[in-house]
Amino acid sequence: MVRRAGAPPSRILYGVIELQHLTKRYGGTLAVDDLSFKVEPGHVTGFLGPNGAGKSTTMRLILGLDAPTSGQALVNGRRYASLGKPMRQVGALLDAGAVHGGRSAYNHLLCMARTNDIGPMRVAEVLEQVGLAGVARKRVGGFSLGMKQRLGIASALLGDPGVLMFDEPVNGLDPDGVRWIRDLMRSLAAEGRTVLLSSHLMSEMALTAERIVIVGRGKLVAEATVAELTARYPTLEDAYMALTADSLQYGAAR
Amino acid sequence: MKAVLSSEWLKLRSVTSTYHTMGMAALTAVLGIAWTLYVSDLADERGMLRAAAPEEGFLPLVQISLAVLGVLTITSEYATGMIRTSLVTVPKRSTLLLAKAGIVGLATFVAANAILLITYSTSRLIAGDRHLAFNETLFADDLPRLFASGLSVTALALVGLGLGATIRSTAGAIVSVVALLFVLPGLANYLPPPWNTRIATLLLPNLVPQIADQRLSSRLGDGYLPPWAALAVLLAYPLITLLIGYFQLRRRDA
Repeated sequence: MVRRAGAPPSRILYGVIELQHLTKRYGGTLAVDDLSFKVEPGHVTGFLGPNGAGKSTTMRLILGLDAPTSGQALVNGRRYASLGKPMRQVGALLDAGAVHGGRSAYNHLLCMARTNDIGPMRVAEVLEQVGLAGVARKRVGGFSLGMKQRLGIASALLGDPGVLMFDEPVNGLDPDGVRWIRDLMRSLAAEGRTVLLSSHLMSEMALTAERIVIVGRGKLVAEATVAELTARYPTLEDAYMALTADSLQYGAAR
Repeated sequence: MKAVLSSEWLKLRSVTSTYHTMGMAALTAVLGIAWTLYVSDLADERGMLRAAAPEEGFLPLVQISLAVLGVLTITSEYATGMIRTSLVTVPKRSTLLLAKAGIVGLATFVAANAILLITYSTSRLIAGDRHLAFNETLFADDLPRLFASGLSVTALALVGLGLGATIRSTAGAIVSVVALLFVLPGLANYLPPPWNTRIATLLLPNLVPQIADQRLSSRLGDGYLPPWAALAVLLAYPLITLLIGYFQLRRRDA
């Protein structure tokens, strides 16, 4: 489970996320509309779109939290819900606040780890990695947003998975933390992992991601490399503004 | 399944609400002592009297406290968003709910029986050879009622869990448990005979005396169910609510 620096990965990390005509309807609103794309290993894929474009819903659909109205989302060729020990294949940070405030950071991670037969050693290791080892026994309820983000990242890394998804992990982090996340994302991708990262910070995304997927109103707007976009537009931000101009809408999925 | 059970056990142990509800239930033993001291004093003045057994009189306190524990096991996860973390680590809804039910069932069964036995034995010790009616029966004759009481607490805790999974709100589920435990039996009392007994015979709190082959109350008289049938109805309550809870958990988006 534990990989030492320099040694090759103990197992193949290769993973892939594949969406096939993924559609999700909440009542009258189409949150995700016939979305098809593939996220491949080896680089960070940025997931962009205006508020309410369906990014978080898409991630929830990939994780089997919501059921798609039609189409499907596959991880390593299988539906998430059919994975035996999912944490060993997919790690996700969706909502850093989705923790029971009364539990300590260590216990929170251990509760998660136990379900997938991950030992307490690994819990201590990820706590060290995200810089929360000193407050491991403190109640999560007293954590700042930045600390909760770090805890969420720790839980995503617990199973040492080949596929990772992060929904707005930079929110609430200090400049030091922002740089840490950037380096972490890049190094995870460099290890051959598949990383899907959503964020609204364009400058940050330009530094971190290599490929970009842009969605608007639940539909795929653009899929390109950062290099391609910055060749056509002055900056990634300009590219984003131009491409999403038609699809601005503030209707949260729910 | 074993992994998920150990995770759920840690979840239960690592939040303070567990200790609060257990403490509330354990208050029964203290109240039992106070009650016995009070009636013993009266008996010393009058020579003899007919007092209710404290483990019967204060049973509703154990029932409601541990039913709240059952409710919180799942609604606290909905309130904090932890449920999404849980479902990402254990995507199979049936496994998650079964593990929760197993842990809630076991913990409340052990706690309820311990509390009832302590209340039973301390009250008999304090009462000594005074004539208080409740302390003049043989332990062997009291056992069926004690067993039924302990089982009713576990049944209610599991009903709480099932209602919590269905309703998802702590307040809503607790109100429903209170309705089952206190409101419906109260209303049934005021129905015109013989409907009062006919309805009351099926209500949760009234199953306890029927399992022990005792009458419901002086007002309602005997129930209609033989002990085995009363036991079957008692087990049907958690079974049905947990099934409804399971279908809600599977059908609805998290």
